[in-house]
Amino acid sequence: MGRYIIKRVIMALITLFIITFLLFLLVRIMPGNPFPSERMSDEAIEKKREEMGLNDPILVQYKNYISGIIRTGSFGKGSSLYNGAPIATVLPKAMSNSFRIGGVAILMGVSIGLILGIAAALNRGRFWDVFCTVLSIVGVCIPSYVFMIFLQYFFAYKIPFFPFYFNNRNFLMSSVMPALSLSLFSMSTVARFTRNEMVEVMDSDYVLMAESKGMYGTKLVTRHILRNALIPIVTVIAPLIVDLLTGALVVEKIYGINGIGKLMVDAITGEGIDYNWVLALGILYSAMYIGIMLVLDIVYCLLDPRIRVSDDPGSSKEASDSTAAEGTVGV
Amino acid sequence: MKKFSKILTAGLVGLAATALTAVSAMASGDIYVMFSTNVMSLDTNLATDGDSFEIIADCIDGLTQMDAEGAAIPAIAESWDVSDDGMTYTFHLRDDAVWSNGEPVTANDFVFAWKLAMTANVEYNYMFDSSVGSVKNAHAILHEGADPDTLGVTAVDDKTLQVELDNPVSFFPSLMYFPTFYPINQAFYESCGDGEYGTSPSTFLSNGAFILSDYTPGTASMTVTKNPDYYDADKVSLDSITYQVVQASDQALNGFRSKNLDISVISGDQVESVKNDESLSKNLNITGAGYMWYLTFSQTENASSDGSFANPNLRLAFTNAIDRESIVNNYVMDGSIPTYTAVPPQFATNSTTGEDFSADQQKFADYIGFDTAKAQEYFETAKQELGKDTFEFTMIYGNNEGDEVTKVAQGLKEQIEAALPGVTINLQAMTKAERLDKMQNDDYCIALTRWGPDYADPMTYLGMWTTDNANNYGFWSNADYDQLIKDCTSGAYVSDYDARWDALYQAEELVLKEAVIAPLYTKSNANLIADGLEGVEFHPVALNRVYKNATFNS
Repeated sequence: MGRYIIKRVIMALITLFIITFLLFLLVRIMPGNPFPSERMSDEAIEKKREEMGLNDPILVQYKNYISGIIRTGSFGKGSSLYNGAPIATVLPKAMSNSFRIGGVAILMGVSIGLILGIAAALNRGRFWDVFCTVLSIVGVCIPSYVFMIFLQYFFAYKIPFFPFYFNNRNFLMSSVMPALSLSLFSMSTVARFTRNEMVEVMDSDYVLMAESKGMYGTKLVTRHILRNALIPIVTVIAPLIVDLLTGALVVEKIYGINGIGKLMVDAITGEGIDYNWVLALGILYSAMYIGIMLVLDIVYCLLDPRIRVSDDPGSSKEASDSTAAEGTVGV
Repeated sequence: MKKFSKILTAGLVGLAATALTAVSAMASGDIYVMFSTNVMSLDTNLATDGDSFEIIADCIDGLTQMDAEGAAIPAIAESWDVSDDGMTYTFHLRDDAVWSNGEPVTANDFVFAWKLAMTANVEYNYMFDSSVGSVKNAHAILHEGADPDTLGVTAVDDKTLQVELDNPVSFFPSLMYFPTFYPINQAFYESCGDGEYGTSPSTFLSNGAFILSDYTPGTASMTVTKNPDYYDADKVSLDSITYQVVQASDQALNGFRSKNLDISVISGDQVESVKNDESLSKNLNITGAGYMWYLTFSQTENASSDGSFANPNLRLAFTNAIDRESIVNNYVMDGSIPTYTAVPPQFATNSTTGEDFSADQQKFADYIGFDTAKAQEYFETAKQELGKDTFEFTMIYGNNEGDEVTKVAQGLKEQIEAALPGVTINLQAMTKAERLDKMQNDDYCIALTRWGPDYADPMTYLGMWTTDNANNYGFWSNADYDQLIKDCTSGAYVSDYDARWDALYQAEELVLKEAVIAPLYTKSNANLIADGLEGVEFHPVALNRVYKNATFNS
């Protein structure tokens, strides 16, 4: 158990390290200029490049970058965005905005999605099933920013109920529309998956067996069906969480939310490409992805002994895939 | 069920109350203004864009201030004396100017800020340099490694600031309202962490009409509120200004329609519909945005150009093949002005006659205009001189520089190809940063580019075409021209205002006679301004909008 977790953590760290290197390389070869100044003299720009160490060989630059992060525990300053303000000053506020809105979106998306999915599975072929299927297809097809514009037009412009632009002083009211539009995709995905998984579990032999033993109603659904259907659903939810937490680029831009998605767009499309910001945000995104996946793996292993065992001979993926189908019915 | 509907009603009432408070917060005295770009910095030394300058100027006064016409009027300096040779300015600072931490504004605040600009590697420190402000020794400090302490600015006492120049600069007082010349409280600046100054209300000091009350870097919404300790506080009638960054033009228009914005800038293709909308047309207000769009031609042989544009006749053929009226009326559509001069209209006026430097747009009609026959004549000569009949050029432009730029580029291609048979123009879109990068590395053939005035003198444009100037992207070089510009900045004409003005016209003629650039149009902003909001001063140079005298009766 302990060995398994340590192995996972080490693998995650190695992955993150490789990603930082690739990101570093990619950012350096991106087209564009970090200092596209029209007013500074060539000497002044050269001095700036020198200060940032851009004239060193790329491996030396990478070594300095990593050792800088380890030494100071921060990503340093931006190279041009917000005129070189320290990243540590700007990032926390943006992260808190994105996380709060993303968090609400996840809660809404997952809870509504689960309810819809369960309702559809239990009413297979009837109204709720059709309703849920249509809703999920619509939800998956409509990009969140289109839904955002729709909400903004009707509920902030036609009926001025919610603030027209995002406003930090009125966080609660201004986060409703973006959270709602962001939750649409995860809601539909979760609803669809829940329905399909539940239907599959409901058709399995052990549920039939439980039913034949006289088990029915809530007990059957929560104890046997949902519990077994949930594990693959959790696998789907995990990346959705990272997507939502790391900010939705377009929704943040449209509604004027000062979040990390907007920061990323600004860092790339500003007057000059901000190398340090693009890197810092890229590493942040990757670290969150890897972190969530790591937690998920560990949680699986704690939840289901077979996944833990499978660490040695077989693959854990296989075990987690088969969990739902086989089920762990204690009858 | 009854209980549920009770809870639901209570919830809805609560939400409605919140929404109503939000609406009533927009009462008289609080205005909501659109910014079209992110505010990049509130550090006067580091800021480079108009939106940042605007919010800085709301909060900080310089030695002088802009009046509605753009002339310099007293601000922190209540008066100033100029020595007879025009080389020494003595500014007398007012006694009642205080920073928002209660400390008085002193001459040392200016000395500190200016020397800081010399040591920091910042974009606008060229404003101190010999071609603009000519502050004594600035050139030596910036280019020859002289000690920044030798800069010609001294605090004679707390309330007297003396500035020495390398040569007379007739527009020096009007430079003083540009943020680069604003004061910084040294003790406060040094108490902020490295790079933290100006990143939040607690790391920013105000001495002006407003205090920064809500701001974080990258925010799309920021607020300044009236400064009760401002020396002129009784003249300021607005209670607060909230800025909202809006980057999509539909959002800008709907924001104004729904009364979430009191000043909004709309795009050219929205202007027509606003004009036809009775409820909105009265709110439309066209103001000069300052910057001039023009074509620059690389005159060297490089990876992207065969060097054909070294031929002046080819350049003249181009500049006479362009129908600027049609470009402005059909593609830009926001009231921008077709421009036939190398210095755009609206920003530089003669201080004795009050006349706009470029009021007469026909002054150089011999060299620039829309005349296909003339264009073809030049083209024939160019073909003979170059020994070629067909030409293929690539024109680069930025696709993130405004909705209309792509259309303008396509329009130019059509017009030029129609007027000059044998010319093919390929359009290449890229970001502004990439476009600049290509121009700076001389890896382009034709570029659609723009320049905004930094100060109210024609030199902000004409200074660019001297040999070796970094903005001379065409690499044009003319010894007579260089001499004229030198005489106007540091030579024979500096102390003779009228002679200098004439010399500037001569320089402009040289630029157009050889079609160094092809001026296209001077950009305007189509603003929507709320009913009852009056007295906001719009300027095409330095500070785009000034609110000190604005009133709002909604």
